[in-house]
Amino acid sequence: MKKTALNQISELAADLMRRGTLIAPVKEKAGFVFREISDAGRVDLNFYNTLMSPKSAFFPPTEDFVRYDKSKTVLDAEGVEPDLKPVFLLGVRPCDVKSFQIMDIHFSDTAPADPYWKKRREAATIFGYAFDVDAPADAADFYSTLKIGAADPEGSDIFMIKKGDQLLLKAVTPKGESLLSSLNGLAQAGAEDEKYFDDYVARGRNFKTRHACVEDGVIAKKLEDLFHKTEFWEKISDACLSCGACTFVCPTCYCFDICDETLFGKGIRRRVWDACMFTDFTLEASGHNPRTKVYQRLRQKICHKYSFHVRKYGVISCVGCGRCTRNCPVNIDIFSIVEKALKT
Amino acid sequence: MSSNNPYLPIPVEIIKIIDEVDTHDIKSFRLKFINPDDEAKFQYLPGQFAELSVYGRGESPIGIASSPTDKGYVEFTVQRAGAVQPGLVTSALHEMDEGAKIGLRGPLGNSWPIEFLEKKNIVVVGGGFAFTTLRSLIHYMLHPDNRKRFGEITVIYGARTPGLLLYKDELAAWEKRDDIKTIITVDKGDETWNGREGFVPAVCKEIAPSPDNAVAVICGPPIMIKFTLPVFFDLGFLKENILTSLEMRMKCGIGKCGRCNVGSQYVCKDGPVFSLAQLDQLPRDF
Repeated sequence: MKKTALNQISELAADLMRRGTLIAPVKEKAGFVFREISDAGRVDLNFYNTLMSPKSAFFPPTEDFVRYDKSKTVLDAEGVEPDLKPVFLLGVRPCDVKSFQIMDIHFSDTAPADPYWKKRREAATIFGYAFDVDAPADAADFYSTLKIGAADPEGSDIFMIKKGDQLLLKAVTPKGESLLSSLNGLAQAGAEDEKYFDDYVARGRNFKTRHACVEDGVIAKKLEDLFHKTEFWEKISDACLSCGACTFVCPTCYCFDICDETLFGKGIRRRVWDACMFTDFTLEASGHNPRTKVYQRLRQKICHKYSFHVRKYGVISCVGCGRCTRNCPVNIDIFSIVEKALKT
Repeated sequence: MSSNNPYLPIPVEIIKIIDEVDTHDIKSFRLKFINPDDEAKFQYLPGQFAELSVYGRGESPIGIASSPTDKGYVEFTVQRAGAVQPGLVTSALHEMDEGAKIGLRGPLGNSWPIEFLEKKNIVVVGGGFAFTTLRSLIHYMLHPDNRKRFGEITVIYGARTPGLLLYKDELAAWEKRDDIKTIITVDKGDETWNGREGFVPAVCKEIAPSPDNAVAVICGPPIMIKFTLPVFFDLGFLKENILTSLEMRMKCGIGKCGRCNVGSQYVCKDGPVFSLAQLDQLPRDF
């Protein structure tokens, strides 16, 4: 285990920038966001959590697939492969690290693998970062409901815990181990630090956000039973604007569109984030659309995360990060919907 | 270009275009692979589909209308879409000439379950333009190497008008054969029509195929499917032996983009073929 002073984080950042691309939280007007760092001094770990999830490191809002020229033939089109430079993703909260593992099942582990997600994941080293277990969780968070600790190191390559004005860094994977041992300017942590780290992880496991007893199989079945109870869904979606904000900030929403964008005869086929909350998401060329109503789309989102995904992949596709609740313009709260479903 | 990237189309050439119906909005496109390697890799079964790709327009998921027993080409029957707004890809295809090159991604989805169909009597029920992957299945079963693997074959196919029937020459040829029973119906005939009139579900009820060791393979517009599925259930067909092909809006075709999700299934990858027993396990959200 290594350690460094929190106020020397820019030196760690600078070291990582020499080795590859560094993506880390920076403070902007609206709040903290993950950015590709060009100025090591901007890395700021004094954040609660970022506005947007870090999924864009592996699943960017737009991803180019093919470059084409309309004056030429399909034979001249050029496939685009993602850039394989090493990426360091610094300061990811445990619930967001968990989201990567959930997305891996869909994108990497289920054939055919998505080459873009997979290659970006392989090129990345994740520095997870524990929540502060001495401060209360944000009112919107509910990750403990999903059995995610505030300081779970699993899924990170290197896990970081704040200890006073120090930052403890512990390798979790061989990839993390080899990087950590080669980083410059870090001090060796002592036995006391090791103990602090282990205790902190344990305290993280007992840390409570908003909490309900949600078992995968129970909620999956409950939502199957409720699916055709239209009144339930109409009531919970009454205020929904179908704006899709919840899906864009979500670390486990992966729906996308594939579009051709042509300018002056040259173009790019690319994927772009899309959302099941939009009415034309399921609009077929024939004019048929199974989800014209707001309640049908919100139902799809909730049931996909808490029921369909459980049936398909054996895991709830939500990590309780609270972003959808924090960013909903009409205060729709997925945790309350799940609680309500369980009580219905 | 990496050949392992499932999002990248392979190049194909349109070698033949067939104007199928009197409204001229449904054409068949016979495609030849430009790279022999791609042809070898494109191993498909009836019931599968592929994404036809026109750069600058996009991609459309289209059922494969030829059978793997039809060598040297792969064929797609494409309707010019226009109910919502002019279909970007389908209208581009309709404006193309033979010799044009387009992209192809596939084969995609599951297929009609060939092994399950073996040694059984097959009732093929099609409506309108959705007859394409059923034609693929019929081609496959009628191939001399395959015919004896299947029992009796009955085809019930309907269209709104005689002019809207697809593959008219083939229908005429099947009617002359004694190893396939072909029943053609139209909703409304015209002065040239001497055949049967009536909606597909009603005709199925009238023909009343025996459910003994039989499988019904049904594909058509949603309204036809809705009324035909119960006919076969009432005739005594097991729910496991009533098969249909679902339609949902699709993009990636490989179970990643989330668009065609119904319950725990991605129609593009886990389907499009489902039995009535499987459909009963899914929410009615398609």
